[in-house]
Amino acid sequence: MARLTTESTIYITYIATTPEKCWEAITTAAFTKLYFFGHTVESDWKAGGDIIYRTPDGKVDVQGRILECDPPHFVRFTWRVDWIAELRHPPDSIVSYRIERAGDGVVRFTMTEEHPEPIDARLLEGGRSGWPLILSGLKSVLETGKMFKADPPSPPKAMQDYIKELQK
Amino acid sequence: MNKAKFVYVTYIRSTPEKVWDALINPEVTRQYWNHHNASDWKPGSAWEHQRFDAAKTADIAGKVIEVSAPKRLVISWASPNSLNDPAKTSRVTFDIERSDEDVRLTVTHDELEPESDMLRGISGGWPLVLSSLKTLLETGKAIDVTKHKR
Repeated sequence: MARLTTESTIYITYIATTPEKCWEAITTAAFTKLYFFGHTVESDWKAGGDIIYRTPDGKVDVQGRILECDPPHFVRFTWRVDWIAELRHPPDSIVSYRIERAGDGVVRFTMTEEHPEPIDARLLEGGRSGWPLILSGLKSVLETGKMFKADPPSPPKAMQDYIKELQK
Repeated sequence: MNKAKFVYVTYIRSTPEKVWDALINPEVTRQYWNHHNASDWKPGSAWEHQRFDAAKTADIAGKVIEVSAPKRLVISWASPNSLNDPAKTSRVTFDIERSDEDVRLTVTHDELEPESDMLRGISGGWPLVLSSLKTLLETGKAIDVTKHKR
């Protein structure tokens, strides 16, 4: 039987950069395409505004609404996966990025994926396999200046099973 | 009794051999972890996470459980004063896999006492130490872990 959960996924990484550069890396398309599987981000970064992540061919991958925005330290927004039709219906997740100065020339970056409404636990596997890769890339791009090319991982087995169930 | 588990995954632009060396070579652990990881790295041997002082004070100690270079290292993990207390001894597994051009390093710290100081300590510590390791291997210079709040 499906297990429902409201568990959050949290990923913390320390990056040798400034809060301003880290903010630029998460809020500008020219940067996100270097580490986010080639995706570009679009938003006016104001509460109430839209946020969209597009795949390199221009399709909407994820969309949501900005709930809170405090440059260069914090942004929180709803997150709806659009590329898998079956995943458009579960309750929205909420994603936030927090940037804190953690010492001289180092920031602590915290990504939190919240699920205010219970979702099938198998859905968490998507974020748990994707975020470490995306945020490892964010860190590398900021520290080495080089693109962090990685293919998006295929959805984990548990998540694929869940999608198959929805398709029945 | 339920035990707690902490998992952290990081992708490093490096080779499995270099990541392996960074886990067991005290001269490398010193740079990103501010301690020597000292052992002969044979199953059954002791290992210690030592300071650089003359006494080589160990802050963490345990046994080497499994060694499969350069893919998997399993060690037990305890405060030196709880070394003989199974309830306070946890386990750390390092899994190193090649992933496209990168290495995926997965650190699984399990068999932890729930709500313990050790669980709180390692939950803040692993992200900093493994971020520093990634920076060292990719740029040649680690993050100074002694200077940053967790």
